[in-house]
Amino acid sequence: MNAPQDLAAGLEFDRAYTLGSFVEAIDRKRLAHALETLLGPEFVLEDEHGVPLIAGSAPRGALPAVPLMHELEPIGRLSAACSPSELAAAAALMQILIAAAARDRMTAELHLNATQDSYRALAEKHAALEASEARYRDLANQLEQRVKEQVRVIENAQRQLFQAEKMASVGQLAAGMAHEINNPIGFIQSNLRTARDYAAQLRSVSGPVKEGRAKEAAALWERHDLDFVLDDFSALIDESVSGAQRIARIVADLKAFSSIDTTGDVVDLNETLRIVVRLAQTQTAKHALIALELDALPALKGDAGKLNQVMLSLIQNADQAVTEGGAICVRGRVQGDWVRLEVEDNGCGIPASVLPRVFDPFFTTRAVGQGTGLGLTVSRDIVAAHGGHMEIESRVDHGTKVIVLLPVARA
Amino acid sequence: MAELDTARQSLTLKIVYYGPALSGKTTNLQRLHDLLSPELKGDMMTLDTRNDRTLFFDLVPLGFRAPSGLLLKFKLFTVPGQVAHDATRKAVLSRADGVVFVADSQRNQGVNNGEAFDNLARNAQQVGLDFERLPLVVQYNKRDLPDIFGEDEVLERWDRAPWPVTFATASAGAGVRETYELLLQRLYARADEQFALQAEHGVGIDRFVSLACATEGLA
Repeated sequence: MNAPQDLAAGLEFDRAYTLGSFVEAIDRKRLAHALETLLGPEFVLEDEHGVPLIAGSAPRGALPAVPLMHELEPIGRLSAACSPSELAAAAALMQILIAAAARDRMTAELHLNATQDSYRALAEKHAALEASEARYRDLANQLEQRVKEQVRVIENAQRQLFQAEKMASVGQLAAGMAHEINNPIGFIQSNLRTARDYAAQLRSVSGPVKEGRAKEAAALWERHDLDFVLDDFSALIDESVSGAQRIARIVADLKAFSSIDTTGDVVDLNETLRIVVRLAQTQTAKHALIALELDALPALKGDAGKLNQVMLSLIQNADQAVTEGGAICVRGRVQGDWVRLEVEDNGCGIPASVLPRVFDPFFTTRAVGQGTGLGLTVSRDIVAAHGGHMEIESRVDHGTKVIVLLPVARA
Repeated sequence: MAELDTARQSLTLKIVYYGPALSGKTTNLQRLHDLLSPELKGDMMTLDTRNDRTLFFDLVPLGFRAPSGLLLKFKLFTVPGQVAHDATRKAVLSRADGVVFVADSQRNQGVNNGEAFDNLARNAQQVGLDFERLPLVVQYNKRDLPDIFGEDEVLERWDRAPWPVTFATASAGAGVRETYELLLQRLYARADEQFALQAEHGVGIDRFVSLACATEGLA
């Protein structure tokens, strides 16, 4: 009825067998010899179509015959010239032989069917496993590729964020600096305008003086109060010079801070700490007083600009923590093979629950837009890149101390 | 299988007794062989049993001749029930015209019955049988044992299934013939449809069943 998919290749074990196929399995000579002994030389074993399979040494036609049955149907016949009882007995023996042969054949073929089927199932499973292995290998390769890409994306984003954090603190610094520079520029401009008027007044006396009109000159001198003008002129110039010096120093500090001029990689912490504190002092939001306590610190190998960024960021944090007129202390000490830098404030402190997380990226307690949450993360990374580490101690309402430990490079 | 051999004028129908290990498939065949006396009955071929476990199959050939002269031959097979012999089971099940699923009534055999039935469904599909249309009878055997599923329980469980359920104690010969008869009734329709048993060979369903299931007394 239905095509047997599993056994399509082989033959069914339960198909209709022929007598010939059974006799094949038996030793023909021995069977012929046995039959001849039983039936005499005149016998024939034929299949259902009358084709002789085994015959005696002197067969002849038209002999008494007995059908041989298999599965209810005749599959051949045995004929011989012997007595009917002998023929029946021989046929019965043949039936037993046929049953045994059928059993043998069917079992063997079924076993073959089953084995082929098992083998085919195994081969299929094997192929499926190979396919799935290939798929996984593919996936693993892709995964590696994807992880690499993701790492690249993350690294990129991180670099951008770190840059953003740097820009944020630089921006804050720039705003303070603009104010600091604007002040002297304002009074220098005003002084220069006054100086221009003073110059015009002085020039008005020059004609009478050169032409010897002493009286007129004296009257003009008196009228313009040129004694005061001359005094004030030099005062203006002195003031402007000191203003310009102030600007020059701020610019010099800024340059030093950003290490534009650094050549080589040796950092003089004494100098840079002074600059950072000086810059920070100009822009404290709460007018906190920043004290600087410095031992003579050894030179370090490192990136001055980055270390400045760390210290400025820590001072800015302290400034945000203190109340109006609070105190910030920056210390630099030598401690064995380490330089220990501290930024301590007497501000609000950090709750113990928050303390373990302050170095986590993007962790911030400030309002959205007020901080990136990366200040301490970036600082820690910079310090780590210098072979150092950071610690933080804090008590709520008492203040916070951030400690930066940097290794002293040994010669 | 349903093989029509025009040269020999015979039609062979293959019936397979399927089910979990030790549920009584071979016993069913032995009792049928004892009980039935159709016109033609061959010897039962029992193959290589080891501790009462069928390794390959058992086979009983039964048959009768239709008025048309067509020999209707029924080859009854059992499969080995043990899980390990699945490939053999598939080969025997291949080209079956009808299946008797012999379940073990004992309560502790519920899981085995279920797994064997799933195995039947899966293997039928794998050897290309249309399981939905396959003539099938479910027999709950070993009704004489203690701690068995009650008849109501069994009937309720199979209530929604399209297959009839019979109860048997094959060891005592009870229900064996009834199960076989029920399967023949279900099998007839498809055989008639395909081989015009009634129209061309003069074998209606009643004759088909009664001749195939003839016992000594009726023969």
